[in-house]
Amino acid sequence: MTPNFAIIAIETPHWRTPQLWLPVFLLWIPVILLSPILFLVLVAVAIGLRTSIWRLIALVWGIVCGLPGTDVRVRSEGNRVVVRIL
Amino acid sequence: MNENRRQILEMLAAGKITADEAERLIAAIEPEPATVGEYVGTAGGGNGQKGAAVKTRAKYLRVLVEADEEMTGMKGPTTVNVRVPMQLLRAGVRLASLIPAQAHGQLDEALSRHGVPLTLSQIKPENLEELIDHLEDLTVDVEGKEGNTTKVRVFCE
Repeated sequence: MTPNFAIIAIETPHWRTPQLWLPVFLLWIPVILLSPILFLVLVAVAIGLRTSIWRLIALVWGIVCGLPGTDVRVRSEGNRVVVRIL
Repeated sequence: MNENRRQILEMLAAGKITADEAERLIAAIEPEPATVGEYVGTAGGGNGQKGAAVKTRAKYLRVLVEADEEMTGMKGPTTVNVRVPMQLLRAGVRLASLIPAQAHGQLDEALSRHGVPLTLSQIKPENLEELIDHLEDLTVDVEGKEGNTTKVRVFCE
């Protein structure tokens, strides 16, 4: 499953953001619109790496589909950053 | 014998598919057996069903780091809590297989120069799953010299 939302929260000793729910699924719109250009870029990368374009697409797709569930939380010097991908 | 399995073996005997293809097909139709890389999770934990342990695959790699200010030189403690899905890890490891063969030598040299004596060309795609499976079984606990200055935990859940 591709990522649908990204949750980002940033907190410093002076200010903090609320939990921002970013609708990542909306990125599909520019991705679809730019798909011919993206395809050409992938073809160029595939030629550069001397691999099959379909293998490269499968790899990129695997990475995109592997993103949901990622959770990064860092706290240091009173600052806190949370990034979650759903 | 399972009907699907018999058909695959007949196709292999007839020379319609290769041994590798037959192996992949058989692996696809059979449920994956419990491997070394699986950990035991308790089904319905906490409801008194002791012993009802069910083997489930680890889904995430967790890295927890806790460092105090002496270690980092920063004010207050620093904590890092990262959860990476195993699926993403698998995809990332597969990405390494895209590195052109010509670059392997340079990478190996650079890695060994930085204290990682790894030969990339020896990592075959068929070894990757095994590598990830063994990673699922990994737990690393590190403590600083003076007791609890830095704690690093790497484990799967």
